[in-house]
Amino acid sequence: MSGRDAPADGTAPGRSDDSTPSGAAGGDTARTGTPLELVDVVKQYDSGAETVRALKGVDFAVERGEFVSVIGPSGSGKSTMLNLLGLLDVPTSGEVLLDGVDAATYDDAERTDARREYIGFVFQSFYLIDALTATENVTLPTVYERDPEARARAEDLLERVGLGDRLDHRPTQLSGGQKQRVAIARSLINEPAVVLADEPTGNLDQDTGTAVLEEFADVCEQGVAVVTVTHDPLVNEFADRVVELTDGVIRDVR
Amino acid sequence: MSGEDEGAGARSGADGAEGRLGVLARFPSVLMARRNLSRNRLRSGLAALGIVIGVLAIATLGIFGNVLQLSATNELGGIGNQVIVSPNEDAGRETLSPRDVATVERVAEGRGTAVPLVTDGAIVRAPNGETFAQLYGLDRPRALFTAREGRVPEFHRQGALVGESVADRLGVQPGSAVEIEGQRFRVIAVLAETDDISPIQPSNAVVLPRDAFAQSAPSQVVVQAGSGEDASYVAGTVRERLNAREQRVSVFELSSILDRINEFFGLLNAFLIALGAVSLIVAGVAIFNVMLMSTTERRGEIGVLRAVGVQKGDVLRTLVVEAALLGVLGGLGGVLLTLLAVVALLQFTPIGADVVFDPSNGAYLVVAFSFGVVISLASGLYPAYKAANEEPVDALRD
Repeated sequence: MSGRDAPADGTAPGRSDDSTPSGAAGGDTARTGTPLELVDVVKQYDSGAETVRALKGVDFAVERGEFVSVIGPSGSGKSTMLNLLGLLDVPTSGEVLLDGVDAATYDDAERTDARREYIGFVFQSFYLIDALTATENVTLPTVYERDPEARARAEDLLERVGLGDRLDHRPTQLSGGQKQRVAIARSLINEPAVVLADEPTGNLDQDTGTAVLEEFADVCEQGVAVVTVTHDPLVNEFADRVVELTDGVIRDVR
Repeated sequence: MSGEDEGAGARSGADGAEGRLGVLARFPSVLMARRNLSRNRLRSGLAALGIVIGVLAIATLGIFGNVLQLSATNELGGIGNQVIVSPNEDAGRETLSPRDVATVERVAEGRGTAVPLVTDGAIVRAPNGETFAQLYGLDRPRALFTAREGRVPEFHRQGALVGESVADRLGVQPGSAVEIEGQRFRVIAVLAETDDISPIQPSNAVVLPRDAFAQSAPSQVVVQAGSGEDASYVAGTVRERLNAREQRVSVFELSSILDRINEFFGLLNAFLIALGAVSLIVAGVAIFNVMLMSTTERRGEIGVLRAVGVQKGDVLRTLVVEAALLGVLGGLGGVLLTLLAVVALLQFTPIGADVVFDPSNGAYLVVAFSFGVVISLASGLYPAYKAANEEPVDALRD
């Protein structure tokens, strides 16, 4: 088995070299400060004649192991905020800090690398690939990375979310709650600093939703920050902190 | 870089499930592309079938056209290399003067063999019967004839060369004797029938030395040239030299007609290939459509891939590989079917193996296959580019 360990050691540094945030932040300072922060972020969309300001100077930070729930009415800019936190979009002005490093100026490839290494995503409609098994779905973020440990990590993670006996099941053979737990395992495959969840309980009934939120609470205990965007008041019961976004302006609720 | 490669190698060796995929594990795009294609086998199969038909059309039409041209060239080859110079009968000449013969021989020097020929007709008798035959008198039969039995001499001094059908009618063979106009000739060879279309047909003829004829002034000179080009040169030069002031001889040559025939077949071939190309382009549109459909269908999935950290380039590469795989699969299928068609051609038509296995036919296979792959790639590029460049935010918006 030493033959298997050796190349794994060889590949690990190669992988983190590609990871822009930890590389930029320096090895030992990584993940000690605020993992993800928005500083005076403005986002506006130009749609023809009118300009829509979705975020009007938002300051927001999440600490390690913290569970933050972002609430707000539809059209308040919640999704925009989540997209900016997840490096899926760039702000019109302001800073998006990953471990204190401004990621707003990253180009597409750098943002993609940062997303893979630093951020996990959980979506309302799960977005699992039906043709792949649970384990394969969990390893999806690593398929192009030649990561020899990914499969083992995926199996551990599925074990952890209580799907140890469903490793080779396909999404169509799983219930909604199980699917969302596969999605949570997928979000954790690259040991991210932050997991972003968009309405994670939106397609689940109350009991299943509770079980999924308990998983998130577990994730937080591992030192990972969780940010959810939701309408579901149930989420707030599990959150350490609740903020509300109204018309592009953020304020603390609890 | 090398560390990364070792890692991938060790992984496929150590991990049983992944090891099965072997070398493929090193090319995740290929692995993913294969997996994506096998997710909707029917659709992938139909898309590849389009390419199969296109490649089959180009390859078979190309090869069949080429085979037609090659066989025609084979059949007509001899005619193109012959020039026949005969006296101008309209001017009352019946034989060629020694000066005419010498001129033709001089012109043909180095470009072919000039064979002066006396022609006549007579009753040929043998112990078992008699028949009428064409008589040719010439001294250098080897330039024009080949033997079925016996041997055709380089210089013909005595004896008779008997054409195939004459020999069969009279039941003679080398060693027998025939009698022509009171003279006895020993048969030295039976001449083989030629495939060539030529005014000099040995089958119904008896070839004698020129001396055997009372009137030995040649009535024709046959020039067997090395190539069609040489033949046209000889024909042109002879016309120029002998017919400059008066029309002394008539020159018969078919190499220019052969050129026209070749030109025609070339055209026919290009036309057939163009027909095949149309079907391949239709197949390309089908692949374009399939790729566009499948990327649109997988829009959310591709969005997730991009969101969770898969690079644009990897998505693009995977989708292009998908199109290329369809092209390669379809191309191989087309090549296979073409080979079957060629075997059938060989089996059910009198076309010979030498023409069918001509290397130029292989070129059509290669061209058709490559064209199939290129068309698939070209059709896959736009859908792949479009899908890979979509912002994940847009792809994931419900």
